Amino acid sequence: MKTRLPDHGPVEAPRFWRTLEERVETPEARQAAHDEFLPGAVPAYDDVHGLPPQSGVSRRDFLGLVSAAAALAATVGCDRKGQGTVVPYTKRPVEVTPGVANYYASAFQEGRRVYPVLVKTREGRPIHLTGNDEHPGVRGKTSPRAMADVLRLYDPDRLRAPKAEGRTIGWTEAEARLHGSLQAAKATGKPVLLLSGAVASPTRKALLADLKAALPTLEHLAYEPAAGDAAEEAARVSYGQSVAIQPRLAKAKVILSLGADFLNGEDPETLAAWGAQRRLKSAKEPINRLWVLEGPLTLTGTNADHRYPVAPSRLAALAFTLARELAAKGLPLPAGANLSALPGGAPADVPTQAWANLVKDLQHAGRNAVVLCGAQMPAAAHQAAHLLNAMLGSEAMALSPAEPLATTRDLEAAVQGMAAGRYAAAIFWDVNPAFTYARATAWKDAVAKVPLRAWIGLMEDETAAQCQLVLPENHWLESWGDYATPGATVLQQPTVGTLYDTRQGEDVLLGLLKALGAAPAADYHAYLRARWEKAGLQGGTFEQALHDGLVKTDAKPTAPAFRGASVASAERAAKGAEGFELVLFPGFAPHDGRHANNSWLQETPDPISKMTWDNPVAVSVQDAQALGIQEGDFVTLTLEGTTLRLPAVIQPGQAKGVLALALGYGRTTGGVAKGVGANAYPFLGLDPTTANVRQGARLAKAGGRKELSRTQSHHRMEGRDIVRSLTMDEFLHHPQGHHHQPELVTLYEEQKFPDHKWGMVIDLAACVGCSACVVACQSENNVPVVGPEQVAKGREMHWIRIDRYYEGELENPKVVHQPMLCQHCDSAPCENVCPVNATNHSPDGLNQMAYNRCVGTRYCANNCPYKVRRFNFLEYTAYKTEPETLAYNPEVTVRPRGVMEKCSFCVQRINDVKIRAKGEGRSILDGEVTTACMAGCPSDAIVFGDLKDPESRIAQLVTATRAYRVLEEVGAKPAITYLADLKNPVEGGHHAN
Amino acid sequence: MHPFDRAFRFVLPAAAVAILVTILSVGWLTEPDRFAKGYAPEQPIPFSHQLHAGTLRMQCQYCHSGVDKSRHAGIPSVDLCMGCHKVTKADRPAIQKLARIAQTGEPLPWQRVHTLPDHVFFDHRPHVNAGIACQSCHGEVQTMKVITREMGMRMGNCLACHRDPHAALPPGSKITRGAENCAACHR
Repeated sequence: MKTRLPDHGPVEAPRFWRTLEERVETPEARQAAHDEFLPGAVPAYDDVHGLPPQSGVSRRDFLGLVSAAAALAATVGCDRKGQGTVVPYTKRPVEVTPGVANYYASAFQEGRRVYPVLVKTREGRPIHLTGNDEHPGVRGKTSPRAMADVLRLYDPDRLRAPKAEGRTIGWTEAEARLHGSLQAAKATGKPVLLLSGAVASPTRKALLADLKAALPTLEHLAYEPAAGDAAEEAARVSYGQSVAIQPRLAKAKVILSLGADFLNGEDPETLAAWGAQRRLKSAKEPINRLWVLEGPLTLTGTNADHRYPVAPSRLAALAFTLARELAAKGLPLPAGANLSALPGGAPADVPTQAWANLVKDLQHAGRNAVVLCGAQMPAAAHQAAHLLNAMLGSEAMALSPAEPLATTRDLEAAVQGMAAGRYAAAIFWDVNPAFTYARATAWKDAVAKVPLRAWIGLMEDETAAQCQLVLPENHWLESWGDYATPGATVLQQPTVGTLYDTRQGEDVLLGLLKALGAAPAADYHAYLRARWEKAGLQGGTFEQALHDGLVKTDAKPTAPAFRGASVASAERAAKGAEGFELVLFPGFAPHDGRHANNSWLQETPDPISKMTWDNPVAVSVQDAQALGIQEGDFVTLTLEGTTLRLPAVIQPGQAKGVLALALGYGRTTGGVAKGVGANAYPFLGLDPTTANVRQGARLAKAGGRKELSRTQSHHRMEGRDIVRSLTMDEFLHHPQGHHHQPELVTLYEEQKFPDHKWGMVIDLAACVGCSACVVACQSENNVPVVGPEQVAKGREMHWIRIDRYYEGELENPKVVHQPMLCQHCDSAPCENVCPVNATNHSPDGLNQMAYNRCVGTRYCANNCPYKVRRFNFLEYTAYKTEPETLAYNPEVTVRPRGVMEKCSFCVQRINDVKIRAKGEGRSILDGEVTTACMAGCPSDAIVFGDLKDPESRIAQLVTATRAYRVLEEVGAKPAITYLADLKNPVEGGHHAN
Repeated sequence: MHPFDRAFRFVLPAAAVAILVTILSVGWLTEPDRFAKGYAPEQPIPFSHQLHAGTLRMQCQYCHSGVDKSRHAGIPSVDLCMGCHKVTKADRPAIQKLARIAQTGEPLPWQRVHTLPDHVFFDHRPHVNAGIACQSCHGEVQTMKVITREMGMRMGNCLACHRDPHAALPPGSKITRGAENCAACHR
């Protein structure tokens, strides 16, 4: 429904803006800001008398049918006969009480990173994940993708039994075939290829060593397509071995990022340290400073105090120049580093004054400074970062030896080996090289020459299609395992029995080991337990270790010594070719492609572009202007004979001449993943030092447009004062700036809150925009997924969204992230307009929503100034059957079509704590009630609590100097208080303290 | 006869009667308690609450042990029944059926008698912990040979008690009201 747009008169360009249209104030953007629902979201009345065109039923027929159906339903609905059955346990497991959640500690691995998690299970099925709070590193936090992985357990596309040549077989036959060919391989002495993911587990490593002993011709490659070959290559040069670099931000005063996206939500430990340094009570407290030099705009770049767009190929030259200047200022240059070949002077990419400030900042901070380099950046940039850290003697990072990963060079050797018929057999375990390897055709031809191809994995993928033997694997929530992490060895335990006839990969290898004549334990559980009991329990029991999910260790790995860097590599990397520079990075949702079938992740908007369900190529503002590209225009991207036709988005802040494209999209298998986005892997380079940064890409308009499933343009709040951002200087002198406390007059009676008043404080300075809260909420509150077409119509259902605001110049804007959810206003505008009183206020300050009362007038959404109400335009959930429905939280209603919904402040958690406290005869403790978003927030930006309790953390925070409420002048009296964002740029000669 | 006469004498009264009959019969048919009350389906095992809770004076919570820990009171698992019935009345056909189920693990589908719609999140804990007797909602279970529904369990039943809970609460209880906000039960 379109309403007339009031005439504002000429409007100034807004200080904060979210989209390019919003910035230039097009009439369409003005109208969209005015209307609650996007054009198309609500079918126009005139079209077919108020009905969506697809129905083909006239309005009169429809009303007739509805009344007949209602009368029938009223009669039949009251018949309570046949209430269904209740089936009790035959033998009740002692720890299970139906209706009470159990928590188990386990762990999830993604690439080299390990997430110790706490699994919430109900009646034996895992439904929600949080971090393990016992772990000294992650302290109860985890990543968005780890949280979303509970959905993969219930993915209907999971393989349910072993297959051979497409025909379902039993494990006996599958094992006979596998064992037979490997025994033959052992007898003939022909090599066997085993390709797996990164090995982070000591027991898995031991098992692989056992297998290697039993089958000496085994060649094992640990392959992680998204880990960044360049980082691996550079580490081998700088340290002589593979290393893992873990930032220790608690010690960092100055951070320089060379395209490193360390705040992207993948690393909860770093985010916690970041949040702790940014949640300032007063401007006198110490704060770190983040300098970012990067090509595409990353989450880290959006949180920078100073950010300069620099093409990734230039990073190494810049960093080496920085090293030379620091050396000139007296910082020790390690032996083996010769920088004399470098040209002098400040580089052209960064303004001279800023460059001088950066040098001064790094020099002053010394060992409290750290230089981090993005995994996808060229190897030379990594080497320069290694050199800089060695010069600074940085203590703000932990360097430890890591298990080596295979690079494209190793993969290429394997492909040639396969093509030459070298291998007797190949086993692909949890990897998808047919999709992730750059030369897919060469791979396919080579693999076909291996006599036995076996695949172990969760869901049939592109690689499984090339294998004769397809073995279904357990999900990690059904498996045993362990991981070495800094500070603790982590245990992984199954939290549910196997849903299908699957085995964990380690058990398949153990079976193989037995067939090859070795006599290890009966199964992997026994194998693991025996290993743990022999060593690793540190005096405790296995049961205790399982309960805690870990055994703490204080063994500090010795950091490998820096061996020196050569500037020759920098010169090689800097040699730019004609055309664009293409940066290929793992997508936020699919990562390297393994999560592409997860609809929660596909629909979580990308934190920067706010795209869902697609990977358009990001073009800089300048290049888009030069080429005449509009947002959503189809373009052709060509590089070395590979061409892709895909939509483009214009990315403010992206370096000129740089294109950015996410990997992991364009899968050809999987019910959700298939056909979503375009496969960018063919663009990956074969030179491991610059595999992800390619030169010479060509871009041309291809004609046609795509309607982008992008959420940033939805739910606008006109040009009002919504986000606030302060510099440290402003924070010190005028924390409230020019904002005045409005005088609020109301016609309504004041709400009374006898016992509690729930409220929330969100610190925008700590929020990095990682979207962990969005995924946590989706999992906790059964938020439906609607799909790309519906998202394009503005019908996404997320109860919490993260608004990303740009400020300043298009070419390099500042960015503020603002989580936006129901504000639970005391004088809620939505409550006044509901004709059936379906939404109203509770005595503890919640704006409650009774779905069974809602008739779907959508008045409430139209009247909500915060645009946080979501309407079920279609039946998004009714078609779901087991196993998908098993992922639901049984404490929250699954909403049907025609019902409005919104954030409930996790009322199910509040009620549960309330009832438990009452049963124990005590009052609710501060921090006892946590909402899912708060528990999921890795930087602790969200605090929930009782505003009536003067001792509570939140009661202290709402009076902070940075505190403000969004649209306070409307008089809705929101229960959510925001703390203004903070940036710490160099001001008036102030440097990081 | 004038057509108006006919209309006033026959058609109108007949129409009025027809409308009245329709309203009454729809009302009667849709009257919720009519179906809810007295619902006593046949159960797979002819379990008698009269015997167990009445004659033998077993505590409700011996079998429905979740009631003070969980939202659901819970149906006892088969092995709990077998705790006594391994020996007690082991010759009865129903007990033999129970023993067979305990051994094979085949499901025992009790017919549900008390139920609430999916959007209602009733929680047993606060009610039981406040001292409200099970009989307040479930009727005099200890006298029922076949478990029978005594209350319609409509929102009116809930609210009547939440507004004035004295009848249900044990004497001397300080509780005067129950929650009346939507989110207490709907979420």
